[in-house]
Amino acid sequence: MRQLLYNITHTTAYDYAGSVSVSHHILRLTPRETSRQRCLEIDVRVDPVPAVATCHSDYFGNTTHFVAVERSHHRLEVVSRSRVGISPAFIPEAGETPSWESVRARCREDRSGQALEAHEFIYASPRIPVSDVFADYASESFPSTRPILDAVSDLTRRIHQDFKFDASATTVNTPVEAVFKDRRGVCQDFAQLQIACLRSLGLPARYVSGYLESDPPPGMVKLFGTDASHAWVAFYCPGIGWIEMDPTNNCIPSLRHITIGWGRDYSDVAPVRGVIIGGQEQQLKIAVDVIAVDSDDAE
Amino acid sequence: MDPTAATVQRSTSPFLKGYAAALGIYDEMRTDQGELRAHWARFASSLEKLGGSETASRWESGRRLLREHGVTYNVYGDPEGMQRPWALDLAPLLIPADEWNRVEAGLIQRTRLFNLILADLYGGGQQLLRDGFLAPELVYANPGFLRPCRGIPTAKNIYLHLHGCELGRSVNGTWWALADRTQAPSGTGYALENRTVISRILPETIREHDVRRLAPFFRAQREMLFGLAPKGKEHPSVVLLTPGPHNETYFEHAYLARHLGFPLVEGADLTVRDQRVFLKTLEGLQQIDVILRRVDDSFCDPLELRGESFLGIAGLVEATRAGTVTVANALGAGFMESPGLLAFLPGLCRHLLDEDLILPSVATWWCGQSDELRYVLDHLDTLVIKPALGGANRQPWFGGRLSRAERSDLVAMIHARPREFIGQERVTLSRTPVWCENHFEARAVVLRAYVANGGDSFAVLPGGLTRTSATAEDPVVSMQSGGGSKDTWILGASDYDPAEPNASDVTAPAANRLLSSVPSRAADNLFWLGRYTERLEQTLRTLRCVLGRLSDESARDDSPTLKALSELLHHLELIPAPIRGEPDNGGLQSKVLRLVYEPEIEGSVPDLLSRVRSIASTVRDRFSGDTWRILGRLDADARSRAGRLPLAGALAMIHNLVLDLAAFSGMEMENMTRGHGWRFLDSGRRLERAVSVVDLVHAAVRVQSHRAEVLEPVLEIADSVMTYRRQHYSEARLPGLIELLLQDDSNPRSLAFQLQVLSQHAQDFPQPQGSWTENETEARLSLLSAVAKRTGIEAHGCSSAGEDSAILEQTLREISDGLHAFGDDLTHYYFSHTLPRVS
Repeated sequence: MRQLLYNITHTTAYDYAGSVSVSHHILRLTPRETSRQRCLEIDVRVDPVPAVATCHSDYFGNTTHFVAVERSHHRLEVVSRSRVGISPAFIPEAGETPSWESVRARCREDRSGQALEAHEFIYASPRIPVSDVFADYASESFPSTRPILDAVSDLTRRIHQDFKFDASATTVNTPVEAVFKDRRGVCQDFAQLQIACLRSLGLPARYVSGYLESDPPPGMVKLFGTDASHAWVAFYCPGIGWIEMDPTNNCIPSLRHITIGWGRDYSDVAPVRGVIIGGQEQQLKIAVDVIAVDSDDAE
Repeated sequence: MDPTAATVQRSTSPFLKGYAAALGIYDEMRTDQGELRAHWARFASSLEKLGGSETASRWESGRRLLREHGVTYNVYGDPEGMQRPWALDLAPLLIPADEWNRVEAGLIQRTRLFNLILADLYGGGQQLLRDGFLAPELVYANPGFLRPCRGIPTAKNIYLHLHGCELGRSVNGTWWALADRTQAPSGTGYALENRTVISRILPETIREHDVRRLAPFFRAQREMLFGLAPKGKEHPSVVLLTPGPHNETYFEHAYLARHLGFPLVEGADLTVRDQRVFLKTLEGLQQIDVILRRVDDSFCDPLELRGESFLGIAGLVEATRAGTVTVANALGAGFMESPGLLAFLPGLCRHLLDEDLILPSVATWWCGQSDELRYVLDHLDTLVIKPALGGANRQPWFGGRLSRAERSDLVAMIHARPREFIGQERVTLSRTPVWCENHFEARAVVLRAYVANGGDSFAVLPGGLTRTSATAEDPVVSMQSGGGSKDTWILGASDYDPAEPNASDVTAPAANRLLSSVPSRAADNLFWLGRYTERLEQTLRTLRCVLGRLSDESARDDSPTLKALSELLHHLELIPAPIRGEPDNGGLQSKVLRLVYEPEIEGSVPDLLSRVRSIASTVRDRFSGDTWRILGRLDADARSRAGRLPLAGALAMIHNLVLDLAAFSGMEMENMTRGHGWRFLDSGRRLERAVSVVDLVHAAVRVQSHRAEVLEPVLEIADSVMTYRRQHYSEARLPGLIELLLQDDSNPRSLAFQLQVLSQHAQDFPQPQGSWTENETEARLSLLSAVAKRTGIEAHGCSSAGEDSAILEQTLREISDGLHAFGDDLTHYYFSHTLPRVS
């Protein structure tokens, strides 16, 4: 089977105007092991060297680091370097997937293993509301008995078509309702919007945090720092499992999407979250490089 | 039963006269036949012996005691309501022993059950969901289910250390569980305070009744908390975590902290280092082993729970994950308050404990199941509809009271999201007598009972917090909406607590060690309490002096004295400009009276009083009951109004306030341990007194017209008239005044005296990490003493005619700056505790 290798460097740097006496951070920067992804190497470094650095698996199984810097500092830099192997996603024939209503019914009743896990993702979560507004928007893609993959693909296409990618329109805290009203946003917004649509119909959908390798413009060498952290959606289909969907690019994630982890929404899987004491104004710089490694190099 | 009681029961007791019990409702005191229940007979005869007027006066003294103890309950969103006095009824709720035994067994069973459910959802494999004993919706859609808390170890497998359960009695006389409080149940402190007050006002009655004591419960809870320390630490440090003085039950937090002997701390007092929790004290960081929390669980850690909250401690969840600290109740336990769970409890109890529920819950139908949904919609008129997940403090819908439109809206909502609603049987609560001025009236009653869980043992508070509805008609029982409370007497004590351990046997030395250290924030607040009480006293003395001159019969605004005084007030920044000296009189008087009564004016008496009150409330746990009573009297005295003789009224009030403040500083000098807490309180007072005497002298020097007229008043304000007269036998002159007020270190009101005391304190201050050295303070203070010595000579210079006072003024400014710099030093070295923020 074809496999691609990537070297990923994800840098997060905070520059503080004043001195920070103590900081605590939670990091979710370790690519997850999945059916189509292996994390071959991972190295997360924090500068200044933290007094405490521990690691645990969070509620959703994502690798989570807790770091505490306990001496005065003006700058905090977190660098995550990883090497990840990706295989193509298994994409079922859309027509062979069950109807979306039967998915909804089965998810509500089935309480065994994976289905119970999917149950977590049916309800409103801290950043994703559930309401008729979203169900109404989605309903056009969900006529009675339509196979679920067909329906979700159509919804993905419509979001891609109806919404404009605009990095200046939203921030990390823009509510989904505002995104829906203004019809613009970035990957996080589109993912959360699509999840709101699916959950409002009673379907389980989760938020996936990760990276995307972007193509260099024709004839140019790929530049560092053009890649960004990315977000997309996965929905649950009994008998098949979780099927991913990228509304920002109107595609099913495969060889170019690298998964860090998942949760109900952004708040469950923010790559870096911290509480600091002191510091005053802060400047945040994020840089992500996703470099495809030739198989020869990888040997 | 004794014969007198029997007689009372048969006769139409005066005690029952006019007491109307509604038909078809269980009455706690009276049977359906209108007779006293047997266990009320003794109480009735006891009150009859007292007689009506004595009963009324006992009730009055109860109210006075509550006011004096400062028992308050903060009501949100009510401008009048902050610190509302606690409402306690004269008559307790009486419960016979056999009845209570069953309730007690039911409560313990319920606590065990709840703990097992929490253990499965947070600590286990959520098997209850897989096996269908609990609907996943109630967990996964529940904002109270805190995912970061899954898998966190708990000491002795205890998730629920303190469980509060609302009990109501239904028409047939059985007790039902109406709701549960599982994250930080309030009320045990109020219950204890209620008992204290009732024992004082009805001492004979309570003695006659063989009432079970409350103290053993608190001792047991205390022992259990020590036992919750991770890794069986021998001398654990326990703190009580409060959201702060604005919380509705803050009174109780301070009260319980004192009673249990745990320091009262706010989130900002704690810090997480190396995955451990520490208390920031003046002496440095002290590790904490157990946190008894009164902060809601999602507010406890801005890093992993609600980011916008600063009531908690960043990194607390990680510390619990590392197992270095126990939080009681466990973070996430609040989830069990969801009303929807009640529908599943009978099945869960049979499954987990292989028993039936001893204490039935109020009948509850969760609309997420189709049969139950149909039942609820069919019986809407007789049911109460509530959100299944609780959370938002939403008022329930009473099906029978809805208009046609409201009803169809509700039905539509339930149809749209059935899983979010429950239907509950409407319990017709029992009624109990409540004393209303001179007779008893029936009110609906709810009892909040408490279980403390120590893992291997349980303790049930014999009694609890009984609350009654505000009126006979409205059966909604809530302190927030104006209801009252009662003491709760469980009878038959002698059968129950035979061998009481002696209270003094079980004091743990560990907690005392922690108590002797002062959290930095408390030291900061004590320092400012010292400053503000002193500032208030100075202001009162100044206003009293001026009011005294104003009430002289010869006083007119154009008199030299009043003109000079108004200039003095202006330089003291108490009034914006000196009066122009119109002969019609009254300009100065109205300005001064405004300073006595207007809270909107910064630096006015009511403004300073409210600052004193709010700072004092943050360190309430550090003061004795007597000291707190004095602060309460200060408030009460300040409420008097001017009346028809404004000057006399204001003067009388100021006299009282000055005496109250003297009593407060007397308590502080005579009753407070000479620890760092006292030292910072006194430093605040001394620093403020030094600043104000320098300001006063400076203001006097700046008076342009008739300066000689203000010298006597200045001595009066500085409380040094007598001393001056003894030393000088002549009318006041500037050099003598400066010598007495700034340089004489035997005068307890002088600058020199304050500098001497401050320098002693500075030597005794703890030595924190960092660059503070006592030499530095010493140097600053002795420099100030040296500078102060120059003022005498300079005063001679400027008092002789025509000389300029510029040199003296410059020196006074230098002293004032030095004093403020000393205050800044203290803040910098001891009190800097910036709030954390999320990035």
